[in-house]
Amino acid sequence: MIVTPALALIIFVAGAAAGALGALLGLGGGIFLVPLLNLGLGFPIGVAAAISLATVIATSSAVTAGKAGQHLMNFRFGMVLEVATAAGSVLGGITAQFVSQALLQRLFAGVTAAVAIVTIARSNRRNVIADPNVDPGVLGGRFFDQERGCEVVYRIKNMPLALGASFVAGNVSSLLGIGGGVIKVPVLNAWCGMPLRAAAATSAFMIGVTATGGAIIYYGSGQLPPIAAAAAILGVQCGSFAGLRLSPTMPVRVLKLLLAAILGVVSTLMLVKGMR
Amino acid sequence: MKAGDSQLEILIGRVLRIGVFASTACLAVGLVLALIDPALAPWLLNVGILLLIATPAARVVLSIVEYAIARDRTFLILTTIVLLELLSGAIAALVFHKKI
Repeated sequence: MIVTPALALIIFVAGAAAGALGALLGLGGGIFLVPLLNLGLGFPIGVAAAISLATVIATSSAVTAGKAGQHLMNFRFGMVLEVATAAGSVLGGITAQFVSQALLQRLFAGVTAAVAIVTIARSNRRNVIADPNVDPGVLGGRFFDQERGCEVVYRIKNMPLALGASFVAGNVSSLLGIGGGVIKVPVLNAWCGMPLRAAAATSAFMIGVTATGGAIIYYGSGQLPPIAAAAAILGVQCGSFAGLRLSPTMPVRVLKLLLAAILGVVSTLMLVKGMR
Repeated sequence: MKAGDSQLEILIGRVLRIGVFASTACLAVGLVLALIDPALAPWLLNVGILLLIATPAARVVLSIVEYAIARDRTFLILTTIVLLELLSGAIAALVFHKKI
């Protein structure tokens, strides 16, 4: 596909929209960019995934650099989970070279639907220990919650589940071109004791490594067109910068319902396309 | 959380910021040149993409160095495994290599 200046501009705008949503929700934007590129602009899903993974790396690096020093990101826990997520993403990147487009679209529909349901089911729960004197343990953390105006402490539970989810997230990330935050954030929030904001920030930190494992394989196999990738990356950079400004002030419940609604639409569209 | 984590957090932030800035600059200039005339600087976009991909890997290398200095064996081993996994991805990329 030849990228004209007009198409480059469209890709840039799509990237900006995906980046803004991604930064708000801690997902890296890929979950929105892949359908825009594949369903909207007609790129093969492998190319859409490759471009998306490149933008996910850019978002992760930019968001992590921006949040460094706020203690929202749990580096130690993130680095433990990266062992599982990087293995998953490299294996997923290899698998993606052999799988059909329709199967990937159906997988995309299934993953987004599942995440939407989990998000709605848990939109009222908070895993936050209000007492700041609780010991967070080696892998837990503490941070200042701007929405509640107080310090928040949490402990990590269910380590094997967190590792398993990270492996699956890495795998799905490479196959579908998403950061994998869409799987990790709900699991870490729902079952591993992490508050949503800490889970989102830690996931944003990890997905740079996750996406790198897959992106490098797509790049090597010639599925990452440089002009389209550059337009998408620059768009996502602008969008996520705007989203990052808004994220500390948005209420958690609104974030969760917004996420679920978008995922529902994406899932339906991908399923329709994948069944043809 | 241990002492030294905050310092590592700031260092990681700095490495990522430099990587993002360098790759974004290459991609922005490369994109404008490519849209004016594709023959102008086709390598610049590839440099931007490679810098982008290398940035998280550089962050892992930085963590390895920091944990080695801090003699934190557990996290030294964990971060080294992550780097080896990324390297195996690079090897897979060479196996699947095709020119665009």
